[in-house]
Amino acid sequence: MSTFINYLNLSSARWPVFSRALAATFGGYALAIASSLLISQLLMQVTGKYQAIHIGLILTFLVYACAAMWVFSVKTAKKAWLGLLKSIFFCLTVTWLLGKITGVAN
Amino acid sequence: MFVLTSLSFSAMVLFCLAMDKHRKQVLEQKVPIIAVRFFRPIAWLILLFTTCLSVKQFGWSIGISVLFGALTVATLLLILLLTYRAKIVPQVAIALSLAASVSFF
Amino acid sequence: MKWFHTWVGLIVGWVLFFMFLTGTLGYFYQEITRWMEPERPFIEHKISNEALLDIAQAYLIKNAQGVDEWDIMLPNARDQNLRVGWRKPPEPGKKRGKYQQTVLDIKTGDSVESRATGGGRLLYRMHYRLHYLSTKISYWIVGFCSMLMLLAVITGVVIHKKIFTDFFTFRAKKGLLGWLDIHNVLSVIALPFHFMITYSGLLFFLFTYMVLSTNLQMSEDEYSEMRKEIFPRSAHLESVNQPKEMLAISHLYQQVKNTWHTGELNYVEVFAAGDINAQARFVRHETDITYNPEDEVMVSAVTGEIILQKPKEYTVTGMIHNGFFSLHEGHFAGSITRWVYFITGLIGTAMIASGLILWTTKRKPKQLKNPNGPDFGYRLVEQLNIGTIVGLPIAIAMYFYANRLLPLEMANRLNWEANVMFISWATLLLYPAFRPAPKAWYEQLNLAAFVYMALPVVNALTTDKHLLNSISKQDWTLVAFDLTLFAIGSFFAFAAYKYQALTFEKKPIKKVINPRDVIADESLLPLRPMNKENG
Repeated sequence: MSTFINYLNLSSARWPVFSRALAATFGGYALAIASSLLISQLLMQVTGKYQAIHIGLILTFLVYACAAMWVFSVKTAKKAWLGLLKSIFFCLTVTWLLGKITGVAN
Repeated sequence: MFVLTSLSFSAMVLFCLAMDKHRKQVLEQKVPIIAVRFFRPIAWLILLFTTCLSVKQFGWSIGISVLFGALTVATLLLILLLTYRAKIVPQVAIALSLAASVSFF
Repeated sequence: MKWFHTWVGLIVGWVLFFMFLTGTLGYFYQEITRWMEPERPFIEHKISNEALLDIAQAYLIKNAQGVDEWDIMLPNARDQNLRVGWRKPPEPGKKRGKYQQTVLDIKTGDSVESRATGGGRLLYRMHYRLHYLSTKISYWIVGFCSMLMLLAVITGVVIHKKIFTDFFTFRAKKGLLGWLDIHNVLSVIALPFHFMITYSGLLFFLFTYMVLSTNLQMSEDEYSEMRKEIFPRSAHLESVNQPKEMLAISHLYQQVKNTWHTGELNYVEVFAAGDINAQARFVRHETDITYNPEDEVMVSAVTGEIILQKPKEYTVTGMIHNGFFSLHEGHFAGSITRWVYFITGLIGTAMIASGLILWTTKRKPKQLKNPNGPDFGYRLVEQLNIGTIVGLPIAIAMYFYANRLLPLEMANRLNWEANVMFISWATLLLYPAFRPAPKAWYEQLNLAAFVYMALPVVNALTTDKHLLNSISKQDWTLVAFDLTLFAIGSFFAFAAYKYQALTFEKKPIKKVINPRDVIADESLLPLRPMNKENG
């Protein structure tokens, strides 16, 4: 067991990179989806349901790209994960609140 | 399209000559600094004119796209010339402009 | 950020190279298909649209009986032959019938049998659908690579701080700096294109990639409705099973010609043919990336009157979405613009190639000093570079060779043309493992030059659609294809020559005289007068 842990070499510089790669790939995707929900909720009154959702969808790739770039610029991998989780939580909460306020079922 | 590319080429040449390091590559004689200050504004005007020409002929959407295409081809040509035959750049610009004007009619 | 840009580029660089190369060729897919079906007749120059429509209608009435939807595709600058298509009635249990298409010989009015080939269409399809993999997996791989491409484009701009000062810089003769410069130049001069092509590419499968978002926000029915709103279709009447004689389509065309002051007729769709509700929709080449309702005119095939159609209603976002598609595929491009698209696509391909080569060039001096030889990673990248940057073009040439040389009656001929391409590519990817890198580069470059130069010759030996004939018949598409093959061959020959000149030239070895050696071996001393010893 201890040799296995030694083999994993947890202090190597590669683990934070791997962690960030995971954060960027999956966390970024989750943030992109969450942001699309938020954007469509924000625009729903203005443009109608389908257009709002459509705009949210088109912008997902941009959000995903920015999120991925951000993950690799912050100081530590931990900060990256925390930042992503905070943003996702923020998006989902605001979306839900807006949904409740405007009475639009999502 | 040829006219658009030729105009783009001239505009790019002017942008290029506005920079000191490229002006030394291309031109032998020194150009008075006062004249150089006009190169960039004139280049922008040529680009504006080229844009209007393109939009007039093709409409807004296709016009802008075609303009980018012309700019790409013109800039590539200019950069290759700068690297391998820097001295003939002004002559090429003039020749292209003449050929384009002829093709217009 | 620079590290990030390098890695996102490196991980998928070779797949992206494949996508860019097949995509660039895809701009000319109709022309490539034409060359790959040499049984199709040469172009007819002096024939009117009306005569063509008559020939097509005669064929369809005879051979597409019981079918009420016809398509007539007129010869145009890209596809020089008259083609007709129709959808067979659906088999029991299926929703749509199979679509049937054939080229018509204008002189005889009969259909033309061509060899079984995927043509340019298959090559272009590989661009987004890869090959040998299922649709779903391909779309996700392509999406992953495109997303990394988007990251590479954005980070590329971010790290290129001297983007304006170095706008025109290309230090060609300075090795590593030269490769960096050319990578920057190729990226910057076509930057709007690179960004557009990547983002629009991702948008193609938007609903696949972001399925989670749509599922969370809408039901199945709402989703269908939204898609119908984003991709509206023109309406047409269905047949009501009341047969009525149709007017000649060429006659209907007269009406349409009066409405259109510009624009070439592209194709005609006939609905409810032979019925009282028969209509013909005349479509010309696209004049607007978003939508120009005047590009389509609907005419009643029974009365000959123009039916005023409600223009398709696009929402703003729908226009943006479809506009991106139109830009990506260059629907609107005429001949010259299509060549510009092709050149720009090649610029993108070269941008990726130069990035990959830049990676190895930068690390080469250090890697060569390694006591055990270069690292595995470095060797792998170098091998993939040689096998892809030169190997893939050779493999594509092999696809064309297979088209000319495989027996016509061969079973699965279509699949085997593609198999030849991928078998060649695999061989060329493995081969550099067994040769020192410089030799491998040189040999493959020479092979590429030979293979492309010889292709027009093989064309002449196996078909009648060779250069001399195409020039005499003024069939410029075929001429351009053969000439482009020669040009590509010359390019590789030139590259091989340059590579040899820069890599294999022997530098004179300067003898460095070490003072210690001098003392040990007196013969190294310069001759001096021996006055003191000899007396």
